[in-house]
Amino acid sequence: MKRAKLSPGERAVRIFGYILMILAVIVALYPILWVILSSFKTNKEILSSGLSLPEHFSLDGYKQALEMAPIFQFFATSLMISVTATVLNVLFLSMSGYIFAKKRFRGKNILFWILSLSMVIPTTALLSPVFTVISKMGLYDTKAALIIVYIALSMPVSLMILRSTFSAIPDELEEAARMDGAGFLKNFFLVMIPCAKGGMASAAVLAFLESWNEFTFALILTSSVSTRTLPLSLSYFTAQFSFNYTALFAAITIAVIPSIVIFAFFQEQVNQSLVAGSVKG
Amino acid sequence: MRKKEIPWIILFLLPTCAVFLLIFAVPLCMVIGGSFFNYRLMPKTFSFNGIGNYIQLFTQDKNFWLIFRNTLVWIVIHCVFHVALGTLLAFVLYKKPRGWKFVRVVYMIPNIISQSAIAMIFLNMYNPQYGVLNSILKAVGLEKLQHNWLFEMGTAFPAVTMTWFLFAGYTTTLVLAQCLSLDEGIIEAAKIDGASSLQIDRLVVFPLAKDMIRTTVIMAATYMLQLFSMIYLTSGGGPGSTTTNLPLYLYTTMKSTNYGYANTIGVVIIVVGMVTMFLINRVFHTREE
Repeated sequence: MKRAKLSPGERAVRIFGYILMILAVIVALYPILWVILSSFKTNKEILSSGLSLPEHFSLDGYKQALEMAPIFQFFATSLMISVTATVLNVLFLSMSGYIFAKKRFRGKNILFWILSLSMVIPTTALLSPVFTVISKMGLYDTKAALIIVYIALSMPVSLMILRSTFSAIPDELEEAARMDGAGFLKNFFLVMIPCAKGGMASAAVLAFLESWNEFTFALILTSSVSTRTLPLSLSYFTAQFSFNYTALFAAITIAVIPSIVIFAFFQEQVNQSLVAGSVKG
Repeated sequence: MRKKEIPWIILFLLPTCAVFLLIFAVPLCMVIGGSFFNYRLMPKTFSFNGIGNYIQLFTQDKNFWLIFRNTLVWIVIHCVFHVALGTLLAFVLYKKPRGWKFVRVVYMIPNIISQSAIAMIFLNMYNPQYGVLNSILKAVGLEKLQHNWLFEMGTAFPAVTMTWFLFAGYTTTLVLAQCLSLDEGIIEAAKIDGASSLQIDRLVVFPLAKDMIRTTVIMAATYMLQLFSMIYLTSGGGPGSTTTNLPLYLYTTMKSTNYGYANTIGVVIIVVGMVTMFLINRVFHTREE
């Protein structure tokens, strides 16, 4: 941008812009920094002033937090559920997305329209019957229950992303593969999938974020410690760490930091995925 | 279509359709059907109730209209002010001022970490003893203004609203991506014609970003209809029902094993969602003409 002389109006606009940027950074970072700083303070320091900096950095809070709550176990549970749900979601919706993009059969448009309904139904409305269905299947309080539900929650976005991804692959490619004698499966896995990697990555990122952060269904579909996911475990912290604020803040920090680190590394990919997934309405 | 491909087509559609049936189609039918039944576990009852649940909800339920109003107010605040905030920042950032990438990444962080973590952070920031807000008031000598923010009648609603209101990272990211994808030639041309940056924003960039803004408004409305953990973990919906929304009301109704009534609330949520989406598309459509 040229550094030409700015009119007073332009200058005001620019200053306003910088103020907004600074405020945005403060709003986004302050709450998290406050929690991290507080996790190094002693209980007494926390209670005497919420704003002061820790007098010396002690890791006692972290030690106590990990002793009092099996945070790494919640972590592992969350990871296992999210990864499985993401992989299955992308696999299933690549399969159906491919069919909707490339194949013709009677009732295709009606079927697609029906599946698209999942986009306009607020899933919170379905809490009670989903609970009933999962219980009737004997899956209450199992990891499988959450995996199935999370595959479904990410279904609408994945369907849209993957259908358009496969639509963008030229038909000639498939024709050529068929000429070479590739069957249905070979064509799908060896020709189509490699061309659809970008869309699949976007769908995977969004599905993973959705599963990793989901709270409501985890709350109603599980009860025991062995199926407790990380977001859900946060709701037990207040009771678990009663009046041990240092440990409480340490536990929140442990729960939050990995997401931030991973996001910092993959933010370009996450941003692209969000744009690809913004297909609502 | 090749005949021998039919089994493959069915096989490839099967997993998606099965999950859809299990988690969307069957539950949707159960919500609608169940809303006409009196179905509860304590005392165990299961009987057809006609539109009895709806009559009770709309005319006898003392809490319903307050909860309904809360939900609508939050949708409006979120769709208008929250999206406006995110859009404004996107319009600042697309001109690539120094540090724009940093701001984009940092502002997104609260949207990436789980909402329950944000809720827990705010629960502590609002704490009357050691929370940030009261500590600041104490530091500047305004102890009179201290509150138990999340649990007092007058402050609970705005306090809960602030736990998500300022975090418009999604909107910023999406609108910014749209603005950055515009042909820079158009903007340069407008500059050469002597347009000020505000004029360019308003007359050139905004119309081209409008479709993405519509998308973010719809996402904002959808988000508000799914909003649960942020309330459940902070104020718990209280005091009374002052910060309860429809999903939380559905949850508490379900927890008291009044399943039929919970389904009636579910139907209301679905209808609100449909109407909201229709209205948003309507607003953006008429603006186009």
